[in-house]
Amino acid sequence: MTDPSLTVAVIDPSRARAAILEEGLRAAGIAHVVIIPDTADLPAQVAALNPDVVVIHLESPSRDILEQMSGLSRHVERPVAMFVDRSDAPMMQAAVDAGISAYVVDGLHPQRIRSILDIAILRFQAFARLQRELVEARGELADRKIVERAKGILMAARSMSEEEAYKLMRRKAMNEKRKIADIARAIVTAADLFG
Amino acid sequence: MRLALGYVPLVDAASLIAAAELGFAKAEGLTLDLVREPSWATLRDKLAVGHLDGAHILAPLAIASTLGLSGPQTRLCVPMALNLNGNAVTVSRPLWDAMEAADDEVDTVAAAFARIARRRAREGRPLTLGTVHPFSSHTYQLRIFAERGGLDLDADTRLVVIPPPQIAEALRRELIDGFCVGSPWNSVAVAEGYGRIAVLCSELVPGCPEKVLALPESEALRCAPLVRALDRAGRWCADPGNSAELASILAREAYLGTSAPILERAITGDVVVDLDGRRRRDPHFALFGEAAHRPDPAHADWFIDQAQRAGQLEASDDLRVAARAVYRPDLFDAALSG
Repeated sequence: MTDPSLTVAVIDPSRARAAILEEGLRAAGIAHVVIIPDTADLPAQVAALNPDVVVIHLESPSRDILEQMSGLSRHVERPVAMFVDRSDAPMMQAAVDAGISAYVVDGLHPQRIRSILDIAILRFQAFARLQRELVEARGELADRKIVERAKGILMAARSMSEEEAYKLMRRKAMNEKRKIADIARAIVTAADLFG
Repeated sequence: MRLALGYVPLVDAASLIAAAELGFAKAEGLTLDLVREPSWATLRDKLAVGHLDGAHILAPLAIASTLGLSGPQTRLCVPMALNLNGNAVTVSRPLWDAMEAADDEVDTVAAAFARIARRRAREGRPLTLGTVHPFSSHTYQLRIFAERGGLDLDADTRLVVIPPPQIAEALRRELIDGFCVGSPWNSVAVAEGYGRIAVLCSELVPGCPEKVLALPESEALRCAPLVRALDRAGRWCADPGNSAELASILAREAYLGTSAPILERAITGDVVVDLDGRRRRDPHFALFGEAAHRPDPAHADWFIDQAQRAGQLEASDDLRVAARAVYRPDLFDAALSG
């Protein structure tokens, strides 16, 4: 369902997340997707682009700035209005949970907003999952490094083979119901203290 | 009971922070998770979907949210107000110099401001002023300030919205010529050398309603312990003997992240208005505690009137009744007598 008529603006302090969302929207057939940097001249840029939908990160301070474009006074510059379809509470909940807010021009068909938000939610969730995995992977890498160091300390101090050192740590971890990395960390700390 | 409460980094979030830090919440069996929000829209939406159990919020925004005028319609209740006053109008130093105000009295300053604003409008480069949200006392105070000098804010200036933590920075970068904001951001602009406090809003609109505690209406009957904790915390904040300690708590990076001496100016109402150290004192500059806490439905009337004058709504009897119903002095009285 290619939609050449629709212009979507994406505003996100995370450039990576903005790029992921842009790619998702394009893949869904929305030809005109523009990433607007979350900076001071945002209102002018939004006004110049004149988008049908603005997808913006929930935590962006620029949300208040965008909202003014509809409600500040009778001198409305441009009707960038409302959150999502107000009758659609689960959709709103899902959007906020995923960290998304959206503004649409009045009169845009709810179904079209919905499909854009669906994509945004999926992409934001995917981004969050990637980030989580990255953090976990970093943690695992750090754990592996510390286990290696502890093994080396045990091997030198107690003239053990690598395998024996690892088994000793594993047994200790099981007996104390702790993670092997925690035991390794204790060994490394103690070794540092004893010099 | 554990409660997540949202706030925007401002001095008038003091009673929430004091309640969490100084044991007032604990004494009521509450653990408060305070969540600092970057903008009012974020706070409003998180309150709407239940990410927050309650919040420090602009009083007009609590009403606008309930009436469906701002963001997703959410029935909120206000069992307690947090403060009166606390805002000021600050202008850039070049603008202040151009105004050549003879003294610091409201009428003098307003007239001087209006003169320059009209001239700039005539020259086709109108002044740009910042407010913190369309539905805020700040928006209305700016209009009242303009009217005092005989200026038509709509016709002769541009009004833009910038969240409080960024508004001083916007002045520094010359994106705006002046703003109305709560403490400590006026004093920050003065201390950093690019702003001149023109008017204390406590002198412009005495006893102006400001922030309130808002909860989803569904939580109305469970709010008594929180109201008691915040009432005690607010009274503690209002005690001049505690100003220095309060300033040092608010100054922490986790809360406002601003220097304690600057915060203390705002708390005590001994405000430094320019880099030369000229002072403007008003003991009512920001009112906490007993003077402010009981929510007054008359404040809702004031907001509806102001919002209508600003072209934000068409006031009707139904709208007035619905707005007044957001304010719940009955819940406040019940909590404190319980």
